[in-house]
Amino acid sequence: MIEKHLSKWRNREIARTVFFFTVIIVMILALASVPRVSAPLLLAYVISLMIRPGVPILMKLGIPRTLAIIALLMGLIGISAWPITKAVPLISDEARNLQFYIPKVESYITNRYVVVKKELKEKAGYDLNDSYLYDFLENSNKYVTNSILALPKWLASLLEWVFLVPLFTFFILKDGIVFRDILLNICPNTLFERFYSLTHEFGKKIGGYIFAKFVEASIIFVIITAGLWFLDIRFSFLLGLVAGITNIIPYVGPVIGAIPGLIYVLAEYGAGGTFAAIAILYTVANAIDIAIVFPILVSRIVDLHPLVVVVSVILGSQSMGVLGMVISIPLAAALKLIILEIYQSIYARRNNSSF
Amino acid sequence: MAGSYESEQRAKILSGEEVTENVNISTLKYFWLSNPRLSSGKNIPKFLRSIPVLGNFTDNELRILSRHMHHRSFGDGEVIFRQNDVGFGFYLLYGGHVDIMVNVREEDVPDMSSDQDVTRILTLESGEYFGELSLLQEHSVRNASAVSRQGCELLGLFKPDVDQLILQYPVIAAKLLQSVSQIIANRFYSLSREVRELKFKISQIEKAQV
Repeated sequence: MIEKHLSKWRNREIARTVFFFTVIIVMILALASVPRVSAPLLLAYVISLMIRPGVPILMKLGIPRTLAIIALLMGLIGISAWPITKAVPLISDEARNLQFYIPKVESYITNRYVVVKKELKEKAGYDLNDSYLYDFLENSNKYVTNSILALPKWLASLLEWVFLVPLFTFFILKDGIVFRDILLNICPNTLFERFYSLTHEFGKKIGGYIFAKFVEASIIFVIITAGLWFLDIRFSFLLGLVAGITNIIPYVGPVIGAIPGLIYVLAEYGAGGTFAAIAILYTVANAIDIAIVFPILVSRIVDLHPLVVVVSVILGSQSMGVLGMVISIPLAAALKLIILEIYQSIYARRNNSSF
Repeated sequence: MAGSYESEQRAKILSGEEVTENVNISTLKYFWLSNPRLSSGKNIPKFLRSIPVLGNFTDNELRILSRHMHHRSFGDGEVIFRQNDVGFGFYLLYGGHVDIMVNVREEDVPDMSSDQDVTRILTLESGEYFGELSLLQEHSVRNASAVSRQGCELLGLFKPDVDQLILQYPVIAAKLLQSVSQIIANRFYSLSREVRELKFKISQIEKAQV
């Protein structure tokens, strides 16, 4: 009865499927090839996640949707304008001053090295090869100088972002649904329900993860900056920023984030009370993160076994470096979702069928 | 309404009665309802108005609800969903016909290309609905297959749409869930009546055998 009709739509369905996946792949490639657009777009997406819950609240008060979005965006710009105008000169100041401190750090490391080398030769009879140290110093020096030289360029792109990010955020909030509907319209019938449910879950998981990580990094940034500022350490803002950003990388991030601060304090103040205080500060900040922030915010969203997290971070770092480490967790969570969906469609439905 | 105004005027002209030359409310209403976009019938809120279980919605609420629905077209014989698929949404039949089919052998995923073991239990027409259970159940499993007959147009409403409605328009979401509950209550009522009748028949057969 049905057989004669099947071949008619099967060809159309294949054509639709091919077209649909082509559109998706082209979109992903286009975004990946233009980081100048995709980076502010990603930031705009994170901001849109933060202010999205406010839209229905304002709408309930009788404010039209577009006006509610504009009001929220204006509010956010107003609140963040002051810290940004304060932070940008502070960061460039601190980064410029850092240049003068590098020789100090370098000479400290060289002096310590000479002492260690002498002790090692006396006690173990082993002669250290100097080239390791000089290679390391030269490389790190070059890296820091390059980063500082790139800072004005980075700040210039920040200016571009000041215009782009609010614009993108506005349109993501206003027309995000229209875009989603266009994508759903071209989705073939056989995939429609599954695609809609998966993208919805994806959006919720990835969005939630990005938002949770952003909050987590901000908390670490505030704790470290406030702690260093309280202890009267220079570059408190810059070091706090480094700790916050590196915190996005799971497990390894907090350690990487602590290194610049600890080395600087060691070179400037020596291995004394200040160094111990800073070490305690970093430990406390990370303890707060591991004991309170991570379990409440992040693990509830991604729901992955710690072993899976470690393995995915290693795999991510191997294939894509630092970026791989950052995106490995949401990708693993997304993969888990697909695997669960397949599992449910094969096994679980037998036990859960209803009338 | 437009038709009744027209016939009224025609009757007046034919009977030689005086026809008003001023533009009044009825005339304006006639021209407004003659608008092709309104009278074509392809207006989703207007279609939703004709569905009895959505009777508690106002016109504006139906307009908002229609914006959250997904209009999908299916070709002749195209499968909308299969029995044992994980369901995710509820469909309203906007146009055409849909066959609801069940596979007698419960353990198999039905193969729509063969007629064996697949039985058509009913055919739905425009204005009818199906799949409402999956809007409420977590990992709901379809208990029958739905196949388009000679092409059909559906309005789908899925879990994310309901989530969004709850956040943005809680009153509409509450009314919608009320309507879905009504649909399910009606189905449950007819089912329990059927079960009662079947039990009665079984007991009669058992008595006859004794």
